[in-house]
Amino acid sequence: MAADLKFAKSHEWLRPEAGGLVTVGISSYAVEALTDLVFMQLPAVGKKVKAGESIGEIESVKAVSDIYAPVSGEVVEVNTALPSHLETLGKDPYGDGWIVRIRPDNPQEANQLLNQAAYDALVAGQSH
Amino acid sequence: MANSVPVWWDEQAAGATNMGADEALVAEAVARNMLLVRLYGWQPAAVSLGAFQRIDDARQCSGIAGLPVVRRPSGGGAIIHGSDLTYAAAVPKHHPWGSSPQRLYDAFHGAMVEALAAWKIVASLHSAAGPAASAAASDQDPFLCFDRRAVGDVVMPDRRVGREQAPPAKVMGSAQRRLEGAVLQHGSLLLTANAAARGSAQHPGMAELAGDAVEIPAIKDLVRRWLELVAASLGAHVAVQTGSFAGSARSEVDRLAERFGQVRWTARR
Repeated sequence: MAADLKFAKSHEWLRPEAGGLVTVGISSYAVEALTDLVFMQLPAVGKKVKAGESIGEIESVKAVSDIYAPVSGEVVEVNTALPSHLETLGKDPYGDGWIVRIRPDNPQEANQLLNQAAYDALVAGQSH
Repeated sequence: MANSVPVWWDEQAAGATNMGADEALVAEAVARNMLLVRLYGWQPAAVSLGAFQRIDDARQCSGIAGLPVVRRPSGGGAIIHGSDLTYAAAVPKHHPWGSSPQRLYDAFHGAMVEALAAWKIVASLHSAAGPAASAAASDQDPFLCFDRRAVGDVVMPDRRVGREQAPPAKVMGSAQRRLEGAVLQHGSLLLTANAAARGSAQHPGMAELAGDAVEIPAIKDLVRRWLELVAASLGAHVAVQTGSFAGSARSEVDRLAERFGQVRWTARR
């Protein structure tokens, strides 16, 4: 995983991009916990989101889960290929499995998210 | 961890009220930091859709024509309610059963198989894996929940006369909605065939599948045994609550039910 990734406690990851945008996806831990994925709903481009707000849903054989915005801002791009190729989430959750790109209202807000080590510790605690 | 599992026997209610009460149960589970269970029925008989199912598929299913439809927050297939026992279980996310969809699923389904065995009713957990996950495969899934098979579903051999060669039939399925702080799992145990369903949409229930050789338990006895097993696996005991959960949280349930009663929600896909 890239060292610049940040993580929300709800298992979304965020990567800062050039031009101030951030790319958002869900972690490999979250993908594995969901098991077989069957459906996904993405937000519309232009949607204004608040940190912690649901921006989409994903259904596995067992459960429907919300995908939460890790920061507040505007959705500027969505990975429209993903819902019809959900296997990509399992194969490349931090690359081709990206979900949305957001233009943050406050670029500093991402600093409140977990770094890799802190997220790994969170996951280790939830796995017991 | 709490050493009791509060359980409510709720009254029959309409679909939107039932979904609102399930959502209120989740909030209460977070507030109390423990597993909560409520049992309920449906009046009038109704169909609940999975979160991602298309409303047009419901409109095209002749076996449910005329029945009111509500959309669940959880996934899975459509269920025709009225002759089933529905349960909702809510756990905080950090509960041992909150971290994995499968663990919560297995806890309730495994306990039901064991409870049925106390009355010599043979049941098992479906074990064959389904097709590889993909959007295309999902579009081919049967519309009705009880026509689908997922690993862990409770199935029974078909002991009806002349049905000896039939494959096992599904009698219990569950689905989850994983929220940020909690998990809601609700499921349906098909007690008897639902007279409100027509044609192939009508599935045999536990009472029909068990055949004539076994005594069907009173529902309260079966549920008591089932939930005692669920609680025991947590080292806890069942604490049956006085009154109904939905009644005790009426204003909140009615507020939450409003969303589920709106066409905008039901027809969102």
